[in-house]
This record gives sequence, C-alpha cells and structure tokens, in this order.
Amino acid sequence: MGAAAENGGTRGSGPEAPTEPPAAKPGKLRLTFLDAAAVLAAASLVFLSSLGAVDAAGEPRVVIADAKGQEWIYPLDTDLEVPIEGPLGISTVHIHDGRVAIESSPCPNQTCVAAGSIDRPGQWVACLPNQVFVRVEGGTDDGSDVDTGTW
Amino acid sequence: MTDRTSIPAPGDSRARLLAFLSALSFFLSAVEYMIPKPLPFMRLGIANLPLLLAVDLLPVGPYLALAAIKVLGMSLVTGSLFSYVALFSLAGTFCAALVMFGARTLFRTRMTAVGISVLGAVSSNAVQVVLASLVVFGRAARIIAPVFLAMGLATGLALGIFAERFAASSRWYARAREDARG
Repeated sequence: MGAAAENGGTRGSGPEAPTEPPAAKPGKLRLTFLDAAAVLAAASLVFLSSLGAVDAAGEPRVVIADAKGQEWIYPLDTDLEVPIEGPLGISTVHIHDGRVAIESSPCPNQTCVAAGSIDRPGQWVACLPNQVFVRVEGGTDDGSDVDTGTW
Repeated sequence: MTDRTSIPAPGDSRARLLAFLSALSFFLSAVEYMIPKPLPFMRLGIANLPLLLAVDLLPVGPYLALAAIKVLGMSLVTGSLFSYVALFSLAGTFCAALVMFGARTLFRTRMTAVGISVLGAVSSNAVQVVLASLVVFGRAARIIAPVFLAMGLATGLALGIFAERFAASSRWYARAREDARG
C-alpha cells in the first residue's frame, strides 16, 4: 500500500527528513505516554461496555427486534421460521437445530444473510437496512446441562 | 500560515494535496470493500488512512472537506449513498475526524499517529453504536457495543502503527509536511 511517491529508493534521512516529532527512526516505533493513555482509555471503554451487555440468565432463547422496536422471544431449541416485516419488506429468520440465522432479506447488501447462523448468548445478527436485530440470550447460568448440542 | 478555514482554490498545492488524499480514500474504500472479512460487520477502516495522515498536512477546513469526500466515496462504493445507512458513515467519520484533528491540535507531538488513530477509530464506532441505539435498535444496541468498540481498538491500533511507520519513512510525507508548515 502507501502512496506512489514513497518508493524513492533507499530511505536515508535526506535534508528534508522530518525534523519535528521525536524523530523516530524508520522502522522503530516510539510511543508516547499519551499513546498509552489513549489505548488504555479505549480498552477500558470496551470493558465497561461489555458489562451487563448480555442477559445470560434463563433458558437459551432467540430475541428478535424489528423496526418498530417490538421484540419477539422464541426458544432456541424449536425449529421455526419467522417472517419479520421491515421498511424494505420481509426478512426471514430461521431457527433450526439450536441455531438461528437471517435466511433471506430484502436488503441490498445482504450482510445479515452472509453473517450466517448464531447459537451462543451474546451473539447477534443485524440487518441495518431492514432494521431487524436478532440475538441469542440466556443459556449460560445452568452449568449442569451446558451445550448439550456439542455432545 | 494562510487562511485556515476556506477550501483552497484549484491549482494551489494544497488543493492538489486534498485531491490526492481524497482519491486515496476512494481507492482504499474500494480495497476495503473487496477484502473478505471473517465477520460481515467487521470493517478495517483503512479508508481512514488519508484522514489520519492529513492531520499534519491540512488545515481544518480542507480537512473536514476530506472527511466529507471520504463519506461520499465510501457510500458510492458500498451503494448506501441514498439510504439512511450513509448517516452512520457520516456521523462516524466526522466524529473521528474532529477527534483526530482535535487530538493533534491539543497534544501536538506528545501523541503519535497510534494514539490519534485509536481515539478516532473508537470514537467513530462509539458514535455509530449510539446512533444505532437511537435510530434503529434501541436498547438492543448495547449488545453490539463491546464487539464494535473492541474492533475499533484493534483496527485503530493497526492503522496507527502503519501510519506512524509510513510517516517516519516516507519522503513524500516529509515533504508534504514541510509544505504544510509553509
């Protein structure tokens, strides 16, 4: 990658080499205290946002939210096809073999269909154009019969 | 230092620089669109590289113009120009642009492109999550927040490291920075 003007042969520091910042040598990265602070702030934001993000209690279930803000909840272990009406048309959400996916969508980019199926709490599939949001909740609190699907 | 706010006239070297950086962000948008991603919602953010490099090259007016052109390019490439999805791109890019330019203005050389890039990427993704919760998904948006923010941290870090190395070794960049200081 990089700009075309970059391939100027050997990279000795010519007369017009950058003089301003703590002139790092090419190839050597010198980070500052504020760089570390920025990364740390970002990391703590990630951590904070993950607190309480997922409701993991109870039975594993599929929660589907639509454009009007309504939510439907279905069990994850019952095969079902759910048509969801959005601004562009009908998106079909398919629950099958303990997994859920957006099977078809009227949206142009089909990102939601390409996302494939999900089955674990906290996972989600979203269709921004048709405003459909599918997520999996619950299923992690009972350690006795975890993940029967994998056995 | 010339006029800090107006868009430069065509032919002037700063206008050529703006045109070049804009073209670069169009090109990188297309590259980004072509790269297969492990998750469809992941974005690399490489189209932000011109904005990141430009914090030292452009004054605030042309810098924001570059941000606007980047949104236009990205929306054209992904086909979301006249849908409300472009609103996300617009909000995210402008937030990142203001944060990155602000960080450079505020911290000068005490923060490198790495920190600037991380701040820009994370704030861009944060604004998009907030927008998603206001416009579309409501409270459900809190679920996408951790993934989105972590993604911003990772891609912002990678892009920042690349930009810092590029800036340290590119003669073109060194010369452009000299010119910008006038």
